[in-house]
Amino acid sequence: MPTNNSYQRYHIDTKPSPDFVLWPNRFVVNVNRFQLAKLLITEIIHQRGDMKAVTSRPCMYGTFSGPIGGFAPRPQHCVGCLRCTTQHPEAVRILRNPDRERLGDSYFTSNYVGAVAYEAETGSIPVKGAGYRGKFGGAGWDGMWTDMSEIVRPTRDGIHGREFISTVVDIGEKPSYLVFDEDGGLASAQPRTLSIPVPFIYDAPPKSAESETLYEILASAAEETQTLAVIPVASCRFQVTSVVPFIKLGEESQLENLGFTPKMIEIDDAQSPTPNIQSLISNLQSQFPDTIIALRLEYPEADTLLEFYENGVRVFHLIADFHGRGNDGTPVMDLIRQAHMTFVEAGVRDEVTLIGSGGIIAAEHVPKAIITGLDLVALDTPLLTALQTQFEGDCADREASQFNMPANIPLDWGVQRLKNLTATWRDQLLEILGAMGLREVRRLRGEMGRAMFQVDLEREAFAEIEGY
Amino acid sequence: MPEETTVHLPAIEKHIEHLHQGFDYWPTLENGTPPAMGDYRWPAEMILSTWYQAGTREPPDNELEYRTGDSGGGFDKLDFKFLPKEQQLPPETDIDLAIPLNRRGGHGPASGVDREIEISLPWYGGGMSFGSVSEQVMLARAMTAKEWGTFTSTGEGGFPDSLVKYKDHIITQIATGMFGVSEETIQHAPIIEFKYAQGAKPGLGGHLLGDKTTVTVAKMRESVPWVSLFSPFPFHSVYSVEDHRKHVDWVKTINPEALVSVKVSTPTDVDMVAVGSYYAGAHIVHLDGSYGGTGAAPEIAKKNIAMPIEFAIPKVHKYLLGENIRDEITVMASGGVRTVYDIAKAIALGADGVVLGTAELIAMGCTRCSNCERGRGCPFGLTTTDPELSLLIKPEWGAQRISNLNASYAKQLRDILRRLGLKNIRDLRGRTDLLIYKR
Repeated sequence: MPTNNSYQRYHIDTKPSPDFVLWPNRFVVNVNRFQLAKLLITEIIHQRGDMKAVTSRPCMYGTFSGPIGGFAPRPQHCVGCLRCTTQHPEAVRILRNPDRERLGDSYFTSNYVGAVAYEAETGSIPVKGAGYRGKFGGAGWDGMWTDMSEIVRPTRDGIHGREFISTVVDIGEKPSYLVFDEDGGLASAQPRTLSIPVPFIYDAPPKSAESETLYEILASAAEETQTLAVIPVASCRFQVTSVVPFIKLGEESQLENLGFTPKMIEIDDAQSPTPNIQSLISNLQSQFPDTIIALRLEYPEADTLLEFYENGVRVFHLIADFHGRGNDGTPVMDLIRQAHMTFVEAGVRDEVTLIGSGGIIAAEHVPKAIITGLDLVALDTPLLTALQTQFEGDCADREASQFNMPANIPLDWGVQRLKNLTATWRDQLLEILGAMGLREVRRLRGEMGRAMFQVDLEREAFAEIEGY
Repeated sequence: MPEETTVHLPAIEKHIEHLHQGFDYWPTLENGTPPAMGDYRWPAEMILSTWYQAGTREPPDNELEYRTGDSGGGFDKLDFKFLPKEQQLPPETDIDLAIPLNRRGGHGPASGVDREIEISLPWYGGGMSFGSVSEQVMLARAMTAKEWGTFTSTGEGGFPDSLVKYKDHIITQIATGMFGVSEETIQHAPIIEFKYAQGAKPGLGGHLLGDKTTVTVAKMRESVPWVSLFSPFPFHSVYSVEDHRKHVDWVKTINPEALVSVKVSTPTDVDMVAVGSYYAGAHIVHLDGSYGGTGAAPEIAKKNIAMPIEFAIPKVHKYLLGENIRDEITVMASGGVRTVYDIAKAIALGADGVVLGTAELIAMGCTRCSNCERGRGCPFGLTTTDPELSLLIKPEWGAQRISNLNASYAKQLRDILRRLGLKNIRDLRGRTDLLIYKR
């Protein structure tokens, strides 16, 4: 906990971190050289030799500004404004590049890949003109809008300026009350809680993307952004406390070789509170009394969650597949809501921490997941995309999906890309919170009144229309 | 400071000629549609059909789809339940498209002398500031507004002198940065628009990039050239309906006859906001839904914050009806109104009229490439203050294009009403029984 003298406002240093490997251009520029030559000759005559007018090109981005102009276009500069093809339909065609559109997969579509890549490269929020271009709504996150207030703001000084909106979240056990003895001393156990300045941590990469370099990037970026990186215990060779080792049953002995006391440990494969799991939790808690023990499990039934709670578990890392679905195909938005409501209805929601992974692939998904009931999210495929990882086919399954990381990526480059991504996602979270007039992200958790769902709005607006 | 551009007029004229040829050529579909054009909300055919209408004053007579987009929701899910042919009104029927903007009469709470204003079409132009668009574009819009007896809005950037002769058709916008707001510009205006929020970036204020803040723009805004300008959110002086009323009193002191419009975004409680606006003295509540906007905005805001206009209109309409004040306030809707069919649907859902922005820019050549904020600004000379690019739009040409689009829209709107058996656009308001939801 910083003292008054040591207070520093949370800030992530961003700087441009251009692509390490060349990705396909957004557009293909097809020039009909014969028509171009014809156009040139016509213009020389028409402009009576005014070469400044003749050579004045329609593109202001440099696509036709190479040594021989349009005869050797430079598609890497094309932004798809279509001015050239509007002016000269006979000579130029601009096409969306199919190779570019193949990036990602059916869920993490090329548009999302483009947004994450831009954020990781620039550290800037994507800003564009001319309104929204996508589908009206849709399933899952796309069918949800966040609220805003016309007049309420946390403060009046601009959300990226002096106005302070906290994005700090707490992980750990949060008892609803403390017990004191007759002398005023604490009689109940000291709650184990840690705070991180952003509501996202870095999740362990899937098997096909694993590498020592990647783990080092995750650990270093987490250290610099003051968040956490979940890493398999066997690969925890970094003496940084931002690393959260995760272990399977039988791997606990490896924790002895860590060389540091982790802030948190995740136990994998804990689908039900078997005696083995109970005993593991209890042993770990004795071995690491100040460390938070979290369970990593696929979204379970309500009874299982409550059974774990009864057995003392307070931090749950709930996993959906990379396309944001549970085992039976239920959308992650519904799964989060069910888990959240299970604890609300049991009257213990404030005592537990819910971390979620899977299907959260854009900045807007973070506040939406928190509104739905998570305390924080653990990022998975967006981190890989920020590092220009290619998807092999459809990558939904956590075990079977194939990802191809670029070879030999430099550590500094990778760390900066993740820092940039983290900074822009936090900035975008501030935009959402600011628009609502909220001062801190913790107040957003489970605030479903802050969301508007397509299904509800549509019913309210269109119910009386024939055919609805 | 950006490099000064040397303008070579023959080159500009050359580009203008080729561009105009392109605007006429592409809608013919002789060579298909430009492969990289369009998106779900504005498919290529919708853009090209708008170009066609802006060139011909008529809806397309080829297979160009000009009625709906591909968004899969909202207006694109709705259609009209037209009467059987024998019950439709005859083609020669005189159909009235005019709507009043002052429904409170001459004795509204803010003043006893409020103007009576009627516009000949149920739409006017939305706010686009000097700086976000060029002076040429503002002039083109103002000329059209005058020709059609409707309005255009200054946006938050002041009133260039060239617009003064169109002042009876220009709405002065007062927004949080107060850029370009002076006693004089308030006195000019038949309608004053308070912008509390805008649909493209609800709750986030405005931002004019440094590159667009030219010497002229900066002078108009009483700021420093080449420095980014922020309009904070929200008004620092408004926390309540009573505070808003104070603003209304302020402008009515300067211009007692002016009508007051309140531009708001579409939060969950947009219905309450509309009622509050009414009780604070507004004549017009302008609902700006989340999917529109012509300027640069964070992508996260456009897609995710506040509800689409299709949901906000019936919510507000029904609430105002319930409060028994529906006929005392004009509801104008914007934010994703793309075609005359959208206009008619918005009115059937409960709006009195709509506010157009993007459609007017597309009429003047916008391809919705979304590069408004990049470098020198719009490559078609629309959302730019670049001295060379802005010459691509000649105000008279731009005015003619928008005017042609208006003519096509008016013709189609009369046809829609005729097929619904209505003689007056005012009779369409709130008639959800005339709509069908397409599954």
